Amino acid sequence: MSIAAPELAPGLGTAPRRRRERFDAIRAVVAKDLTAVRRSKAVVLPMLLVPVLLLIVLPLVIGLMASNSPAVSVEDFLGRLPAGVADPITSLPREEQMVVLINGYLLAPLFLIVPLMISAVLAADAFAGEKERKTLESLLHLPMPDRDLFLAKLITAFLPALAVSWIGFLCFATVANTVAWPVMHRLFLPTKLWMVMILWVAPAVAALGLGVMVRVSARARTAQEANQLGGAVILPLIFLAMGQATGLLLVDLPVAFAIGAGLWALALWLIARGARRFTRDSLAAKV
Amino acid sequence: MAWQPSAGELAIETRGLTRTFPSGRAVDDLTFDVRRGEVLALLGPNGAGKTTTIRMLNGVLAPDAGTARVAGLDPVAAGDEVRRRTGVLTENAGLDERLTARENLAFAARIRGLPTGVAAERAGVLLERFGMAADADRQVTGFSTGQRKRVALARALLHDPEVLFLDEPTSGLDPAATRDVVAHIGALASEHGRTVILCTHFLGEAGKLADRMAVLHHGRLEAFGTPEDLAADLWSGLAADLDLGTTAGPDVRARIERVAGVHEVHPTVDGAALLVRDREVLPEVVAALVQAGVRVYASTPRPPTLEDVYFELEARRAAPPPAPHEGAAA
Repeated sequence: MSIAAPELAPGLGTAPRRRRERFDAIRAVVAKDLTAVRRSKAVVLPMLLVPVLLLIVLPLVIGLMASNSPAVSVEDFLGRLPAGVADPITSLPREEQMVVLINGYLLAPLFLIVPLMISAVLAADAFAGEKERKTLESLLHLPMPDRDLFLAKLITAFLPALAVSWIGFLCFATVANTVAWPVMHRLFLPTKLWMVMILWVAPAVAALGLGVMVRVSARARTAQEANQLGGAVILPLIFLAMGQATGLLLVDLPVAFAIGAGLWALALWLIARGARRFTRDSLAAKV
Repeated sequence: MAWQPSAGELAIETRGLTRTFPSGRAVDDLTFDVRRGEVLALLGPNGAGKTTTIRMLNGVLAPDAGTARVAGLDPVAAGDEVRRRTGVLTENAGLDERLTARENLAFAARIRGLPTGVAAERAGVLLERFGMAADADRQVTGFSTGQRKRVALARALLHDPEVLFLDEPTSGLDPAATRDVVAHIGALASEHGRTVILCTHFLGEAGKLADRMAVLHHGRLEAFGTPEDLAADLWSGLAADLDLGTTAGPDVRARIERVAGVHEVHPTVDGAALLVRDREVLPEVVAALVQAGVRVYASTPRPPTLEDVYFELEARRAAPPPAPHEGAAA
């Protein structure tokens, strides 16, 4: 009838939990959440479909069309840009201008949707989803500091957003260079500004999506509700990003860094505010 | 209460524990002690404050006022240390549906710092113990309420906690599983010295398991003690059943009422239900009836059960104070 007591792990006593044990617990939450997400088609499908459409299908189709119409002049369009901004393109041979403009610059803003969307969807699942699945209370009854739990949830959303964005960019660069090869006979992506966007701005955008969803999820009862509430904040950000990112790719490197830093500052401010409110007491009071 | 334990014997102490939400006061000035190895039934209607009490005891909610100690620790100051020593079964099981039963247990074990091998072995034993071994590697999403409850119970016991908070541990279980779980909870307390706080609406089950009962109403502790002690406060006298093979007629009832110490006599299908001063009155009743030629098949004292006490408290709360002795034979 009875079951023998298990041997407790070393360190399980009144002594403070060791750093390694806390790290293991954070890893456990991340691994659990990502395993659960992997098994959820409703979460995985948009996470994969949107990057595939934006970063593979669209550049492939538009790139092929642009490559097959090298004679089309883009000078009128470039002429409307501020002086000096269009120089990197106008200095290219005319047959290269179209494909570089579209795949190198005009499609670039769409790229920022990927980290924003993935971090937002995963954050909604990680924070509001626990309430929706009624798993939050049992999670709060586990011995894990609030701060560690919050950090684990951030990592759950942030790392996949980065991974998918970076893998997506590799695919995008491969597709864009491939379709442009007949015209350009060289690799034109990534440019230095693209690298700033990938390594500095995209993570900032992912963090921004996370920051918004952390705040929104505190009020939402379900992941869907969080996505809807978050969408009201994030969609304008997407349009803003799309409007500005083309310009971002046409500005100097220091300005691009500064814009990324601004996004990081906003994201970290939102996350820090979310962290202050992420306490067992406030979470349990809403269960 | 007459019993005054030393601090070392207490698994849980609360003093004036209070918590208010915007919707109102959920727990109000709660003071009680629970001994190590004791099963306490925490009873009350929905919204009485049971879940809030458990959350405060486990350091999930902070009290607005008052203090608590669980396993010798303050849940506010040392919440994680308290939670390492406690196991909680929440009312809705709280399993991640997208994980398998075994993965749910493995996750909790990792958070609790159990070595992987120990956790796997322990999870296997517990899942087997609760009849879930065959479904251990299935995703929870297809499980019935009872199956979820059994997996969640295994998770709560995984680290052999000193204190167990069990919220409706048998709801959704079939009769065989209920019997099994009740027996297991009883053994945890009686054989392994584990302290159990049991929230349940199944009063029969609480009666089998609980050493003492705490009744909450609107967050206030309405009654606390053993069912016997509480019954003594509620009723003066002892209920008993008299088996006469047939309903006691007026003559028989009159004869019984003449015996000193008999307070009330009510006819039943096979005899009479009595309220007497104490058990010493019953032989006198039997003797009087035998002397009168009435056949008496059995005379059975019926001490009030936990269920009797609970419903009497409910009834008295709802109605004006009853006349002396009223309701004791119900």
